[in-house]
Amino acid sequence: MKNAYRAAILYFTFFAVMLLVSGTWLFATKIGLSPDAVTLYYLGNEALFQMPKSSEGLLEIVLPHLGGMGLFIMVSAHFMLFAPKNRHQWAKITAIILFTTALLDIFSPYAIINGFAFFNWVKLISFFLLQSLALFLLGLVFLSAFEGVVKH
Amino acid sequence: MRFTLVKDLRTDVLMRPIIGGLLLFTLLFLIFDVWHTSEKIGMIPTKVATFLYGNEEEFVEPVTQTSLLEIIHMDTFFAMMTLLTLSAVYARLSNSNSRKMVMINLAMISAIIAIISLMSAFLVHHFFLYVWLGCFSIWHVVAFGMGIESLWKLYRL
Repeated sequence: MKNAYRAAILYFTFFAVMLLVSGTWLFATKIGLSPDAVTLYYLGNEALFQMPKSSEGLLEIVLPHLGGMGLFIMVSAHFMLFAPKNRHQWAKITAIILFTTALLDIFSPYAIINGFAFFNWVKLISFFLLQSLALFLLGLVFLSAFEGVVKH
Repeated sequence: MRFTLVKDLRTDVLMRPIIGGLLLFTLLFLIFDVWHTSEKIGMIPTKVATFLYGNEEEFVEPVTQTSLLEIIHMDTFFAMMTLLTLSAVYARLSNSNSRKMVMINLAMISAIIAIISLMSAFLVHHFFLYVWLGCFSIWHVVAFGMGIESLWKLYRL
């Protein structure tokens, strides 16, 4: 692989970490990091003048994330093609779990607003699992690209 | 990334128009991103300051942290995908190794600093507003140059 490609991949991992940080920050600011805060955000509270979220409102968040997360996971994981073969199995398992947790993260708010309040836990756990596994995958990508730069 | 495996993009009947189309869309994205940003945030210091800190005399409210985070979150995604694809094409088409490394490093580093400095301008100090303006301009100009050079290399006779 050319050094220019390696540089692009290394920068991609920086951007991706910034994307994860801004996403977590946004989650903490907008929704909150506890199950009660998640419930309050989606179901609202009349006493606090907080409106519940509608299906249409959720759709505006769901739609860009379906396209964005799918693309993000695919692009991140496909860089592992350039990594040594012994890491491919790790990357494959991580990518499959990432796609699954991304779906849970994206669609669990629909379950919350339709009366399945315990999905606040699903939302929280899937979100943190998604962030952690994405970091792990990016770590593998970074390691593979960086090793290539050092060996080159 | 399939195009990285094609021996000569300029003579490949399938990949040449596909990469040409990608470059055209990338160049248009860069132009419209500058236009959209100048309308929404501003491209002159006073307008950016009004967006970030508000203006009591004109009764303009400052942007909320949540809104700014949403902007930064989306900008990060689009900058990441745009620069990644553009760099991959540029690395494949440009002949000069030193120039391609300078261009890719410059575009990527200035884009990363631009994203961080916009939040820093809101949270830390208004000085970062100028850093954001400079780095935002640099990454767009450099990326535009990479796109034009790639198109030139792809279609020159």
